[in-house]
Amino acid sequence: MNWVKFSRGDAVVWLLAATLLVSVYTMFWQADGHGAEAVVLVNGKRWARLDLFQNQDLKVPGPLGHSHIQVRDGQVRFMSSPCPNKLCVHTGWLSQGGEVAICLPNKVSLQILGSDPRFDAINF
Amino acid sequence: MNRIIQTTRDDYLIAGFAALAITIHIAESALPSPLPGIKPGLANVVTLVVLCRYGWQMAAWVSLLRVLVGSILLGTFLSPTFFLSAAGALASVAVLGLLFALSRALPGWAVGPMGYGVAAALAHMSGQFWVAYAVFVPHSGLLTLYPLLMTLAAVLGIVSGLLTRAILARLNSPPPGGNPV
Repeated sequence: MNWVKFSRGDAVVWLLAATLLVSVYTMFWQADGHGAEAVVLVNGKRWARLDLFQNQDLKVPGPLGHSHIQVRDGQVRFMSSPCPNKLCVHTGWLSQGGEVAICLPNKVSLQILGSDPRFDAINF
Repeated sequence: MNRIIQTTRDDYLIAGFAALAITIHIAESALPSPLPGIKPGLANVVTLVVLCRYGWQMAAWVSLLRVLVGSILLGTFLSPTFFLSAAGALASVAVLGLLFALSRALPGWAVGPMGYGVAAALAHMSGQFWVAYAVFVPHSGLLTLYPLLMTLAAVLGIVSGLLTRAILARLNSPPPGGNPV
């Protein structure tokens, strides 16, 4: 056998290797931690489940009044809330799995669902 | 009791090639590496040369002896490094065995050094990676590295294939006992 030649067998092996590489990239790099759904909890109970790619505005009733939640293009936020310090509003847009925004005075919370949450735990 | 072990010509060849591979392995371990697990894999060139000239069985001996003796000399025997290295070597020897058997069965589609080099490097990286993931660092963040490591392995595999090809071309005398493929 002529070892210097790039043989047909080599070509097959290279083709298989290239296929393997492409599939490995699609398998491990496609799924980022971006969540597709969120849940809204009121008083600790599930109030709604949101599809993040369906733009909408929600009025969520709490003890103090209505919290406004806005869904836009894979992100979600508290737009306004009748609480005194607006921590929930200042949390801003959420998009990563596991991210949360909570309005304690109005007992409304918002969490992105994700199979691969970006954070193990968050404390404030 | 006095027993004499019969040594064959192959035993001497295995010992010689393993010694060569171990020397390269140790020299290579002194090179700084940007990432753990990334090595040029020059010692693997010896395995590939032996595979092409003498067949799979001898190549397997040379590869596994290199990992064992190399780790003893470097002081990493039975440490995580050793298990990673052994997993990689076993995986690449297995894949080389498969390709070697296929090359014998279908001579028209025989694989040469370029194919062996890439296949061995990818198998080595995979074996090493999955043992690392399963045993040492079972964190999903590690998986993100896998495509990158495999790409590097493929490139290094091409390099080792080129080196093997160059060495085989220089050693153009047929090995005693005939060419296995």
